[in-house]
Amino acid sequence: MSAEETLVLELKDKATQSKAFEVLVNTYKERLYWHIRRIVLDHDDADDVLQNTFIKVYRSIDGFKGESKLYSWMYRIGTNEALTFLKQKSRKLGVSNEELQQSLVENLESDVYFEGDAIQLKLQKALATLPEKQKLVFNMKYFQEMKYEEISQILETSVGGLKASYHLAVKKIESYLTEPD
Amino acid sequence: MKKNHKNKFKTPEGYFDNFNERLFERLAVEETSQESTLIPKSDGFTAPEGYFDSIYDSTIERMKGKSPKVISLVGYRAVYYAAAAVVIIFVLALAWDWNQSPDLNFEDLASMDIETYFEDTDYGLSSYEIAEAVNLDDISIADITEKILEEESILEYLDANVEDLEDLDLDYDELQY
Repeated sequence: MSAEETLVLELKDKATQSKAFEVLVNTYKERLYWHIRRIVLDHDDADDVLQNTFIKVYRSIDGFKGESKLYSWMYRIGTNEALTFLKQKSRKLGVSNEELQQSLVENLESDVYFEGDAIQLKLQKALATLPEKQKLVFNMKYFQEMKYEEISQILETSVGGLKASYHLAVKKIESYLTEPD
Repeated sequence: MKKNHKNKFKTPEGYFDNFNERLFERLAVEETSQESTLIPKSDGFTAPEGYFDSIYDSTIERMKGKSPKVISLVGYRAVYYAAAAVVIIFVLALAWDWNQSPDLNFEDLASMDIETYFEDTDYGLSSYEIAEAVNLDDISIADITEKILEEESILEYLDANVEDLEDLDLDYDELQY
């Protein structure tokens, strides 16, 4: 039995679930944080979504049937939580998703937890113009260095489709970065 | 040198033995050379000092729910009476309206209210899970839109808005040619 399968069994067992949850959080907290942070951009929002993701994982673990890997399942929950968070935020502010993306990037200029230079800021502006799927695939492949097979399990999209999305995203970003400000 | 008896071409000794190795080496080199030189290698995001050490504790704290603040009631006697008066007036007003208002039922809810409820409420199900639970056999496209869509309009829309056909998540087995 793999370490992951053992962890899942411990999470489902009332006697061991508390300790197993601590192991789960400590194992995945950084990877999941950066994944969520790249979607919501703001640190406090990422913290909020990350905690909700872990709570949802803990409460739904009985429904996890092991058809996919535990980390794929957690990434899927994290991705859905982050996208839902943005959707609710845009509704509360009464703006479209595109307008929200623009304002999140503008806020980065005064964000103490963003130390990017001009080109890194321009990269975020370029990412804000991409369709949701392309942006997700680009971040997961380029910055998180995930394999297409892993991304395919998380986003439930074929590897071929992901390759096409990534290729398109890179082309659009490169074209945006070469445009004069 | 190996000889191919079906034709007269020859290959160098050991050519096929390490073919895979050389092919993968070349693919790796090509992949590296295709990597963008324009896009920065890091994106500039940082997290507060010691943040990752605190995640477990703050998650547990949130799960338990924060204990409500205890506020002393001494000195709030006047507010008590005012609050009681407001409650009495409110109850009377409610009772008055109760006799005159018609009963509300599901049809009185505006579609927008229902949509807002589903948008804002965390009911713990993803779109895929809902799609799996809802039986679509008795639902036609006319039930969710008042306009009849022409095939040409649909194709025009897809052409203008869909960059990646994979996004449509089509089940090719169900398509009829």
